[in-house]
Amino acid sequence: MKPTSKHVVTFLWTILWLSVPLHSPSSAQSSRGADIAVVVNADTPVTDLSLAEVRKVLLGERQYWSSKLPVVLLIRAPVARERDVVLRVIYQMSEAQFKQYWVAKIFRAEAASPPKIVYSNDMQYELLTALPGAIAFVDSRNVRPGAKVLRVDGHMPGDRDYPLR
Amino acid sequence: MRFPLCDGSLGIRGSRPKLGQGKERMHRPPLLLAILILSAGAAWGQSPPPADQSEQIKVLLERIQQLEKRLAVVETRLPAPSTPVLYAANAPAPPKPGPSEPSASAVQAHQHESPETQTTVGQMETHYPSLQIRGFGDVDFSATDQKRTNSGFNLGQLDLHLASALSQKISYFGEITFNARPTQYTIEVERSIIRYDYNDYFKLSFGRFHTPIGYWNTAFHHGAWLQTTIDRPFIVKVGGTFTPVHFVGLLAEGNIPSGGLGLSYNLGVGNGRGEVISRPGDAGDINNNRAWVAKLYARPPKLYGLELGASFYQDKIAFPSPTNQNFREWIASAYLVWTKGSPEFLSEFDNVHHRNILTNQITNNDAFYVQFAYRLPWLERSLKPYYRFEYAHMPLSEQVFLHQDQVESIVGLRYDISSYAAFKAEYRNTKNQPGVLGLLAEPTVNGLFFQTAFTF
Repeated sequence: MKPTSKHVVTFLWTILWLSVPLHSPSSAQSSRGADIAVVVNADTPVTDLSLAEVRKVLLGERQYWSSKLPVVLLIRAPVARERDVVLRVIYQMSEAQFKQYWVAKIFRAEAASPPKIVYSNDMQYELLTALPGAIAFVDSRNVRPGAKVLRVDGHMPGDRDYPLR
Repeated sequence: MRFPLCDGSLGIRGSRPKLGQGKERMHRPPLLLAILILSAGAAWGQSPPPADQSEQIKVLLERIQQLEKRLAVVETRLPAPSTPVLYAANAPAPPKPGPSEPSASAVQAHQHESPETQTTVGQMETHYPSLQIRGFGDVDFSATDQKRTNSGFNLGQLDLHLASALSQKISYFGEITFNARPTQYTIEVERSIIRYDYNDYFKLSFGRFHTPIGYWNTAFHHGAWLQTTIDRPFIVKVGGTFTPVHFVGLLAEGNIPSGGLGLSYNLGVGNGRGEVISRPGDAGDINNNRAWVAKLYARPPKLYGLELGASFYQDKIAFPSPTNQNFREWIASAYLVWTKGSPEFLSEFDNVHHRNILTNQITNNDAFYVQFAYRLPWLERSLKPYYRFEYAHMPLSEQVFLHQDQVESIVGLRYDISSYAAFKAEYRNTKNQPGVLGLLAEPTVNGLFFQTAFTF
């Protein structure tokens, strides 16, 4: 290896190793706020999911509630707090990583379409009501009476150990 | 030191290097590195400020939230409903009411859908067929000290990916690439798949696939933007022969109920390798023997990011005359990956076993790679240094492959300039050891490579 090439290698390795101790555990630090409820269409045959199962649904690894009922994912548009919590707690990804994940997922022919993006709570509820198999993430303060809210790890929003906040 | 004029992109005007200057062999690596850094900086400066957009979106969303709250207040002032609100039969009690929780009348109001609501729902419903097209492209620059090669730019694959839901349970996936050649472009149908979903445990596809051997071939394959590095490992090179990267036939796949193991499977039957062993039998099999592939992999939910798996592939290779030799081929592969960006760890091992049916001579070819990358916490986590080590061994008695042994180390840096475009810079050191074609190979090759890869 020529001396110049050795310097380039040394430079890149230095960047790599210097970064390790400086890295924080999570890019998006938790900000305390209302719990995020997992709300599904009333006909969806589930009442309780573990956090791992919620993750599997959101990652597109579970695409059917039952043989006849596909999952329809609804996710709020960027900068909504519900989206921030979903990305931080469930996906554990940054906004860019989330976008890349779904591009790659569709590219691998593992899913035909990405989650549907919703821009407001009203729109979210309209779609939850209209689309069988729909699942959405709603600020618990905005959950409407009649909505079917799932337990996550056996907890409801407001419980001390509820994981989505 | 004189720098060539740079217009902020990879296109360089003024003192552009001429073809043939590569014979000077790696004479200016610091200059090339500087060009990349300057180009990246200029392009970064020209990109729209994402912070401003985020602020605008945030303001708009806050206004929507405020309007929704006002609407809810107005709705609460409407007369009480005459019919009670029904909860879902198996739904738990609603959460504790918050300060902005609307009353039951709000729900009543929403039960009468306005034309706007119907429009929104109509727009968001999936219509069939619903074709989506996505493209991938890359532009590359390379300079190596290999004799008889030139430094310079080249266009990577232009890759169009098609996905279309034909019904709730039937989907089509297609992939077409345009490849630059010295005198023309070639067009290749990389994938053409129709898939029928029964449920999560059983999905059946027909067509041309990426063969589910190992990890890389199905996770990235075409589309350089998807992968961290500039190029693929030796075992899954475009046009390579070590493993059959494409497969024509049928494939069953799905999850396996396995609790905490998170198991999934792929099972395929198809034509296997064609007369040119880097290609599958697109237009028909070359013999009456079908190839089959089986893959089992696990994504344990408690170790989110981890995936490990093993796959097996079996085929009969038939060379045309004048050799007319036939071989049995067994490929065994295992991999372990950690796919989170901080860190990212990919490792894969393949063994390709050949048996000459006439002479019973057996050869074993081994190859593996280990790749480590780490997304740095600065600059919105856009920087990702990486390192990969590759090793491939083919014995001198091997009769199907014509490669030499190879050991390669690469070190590089990926910079995601936006969510959909990246710059990559890479140094490679490749050591070739004498094999069947070893006399023609140079023992060591050093190279610098640059790439901008994107999806659109």
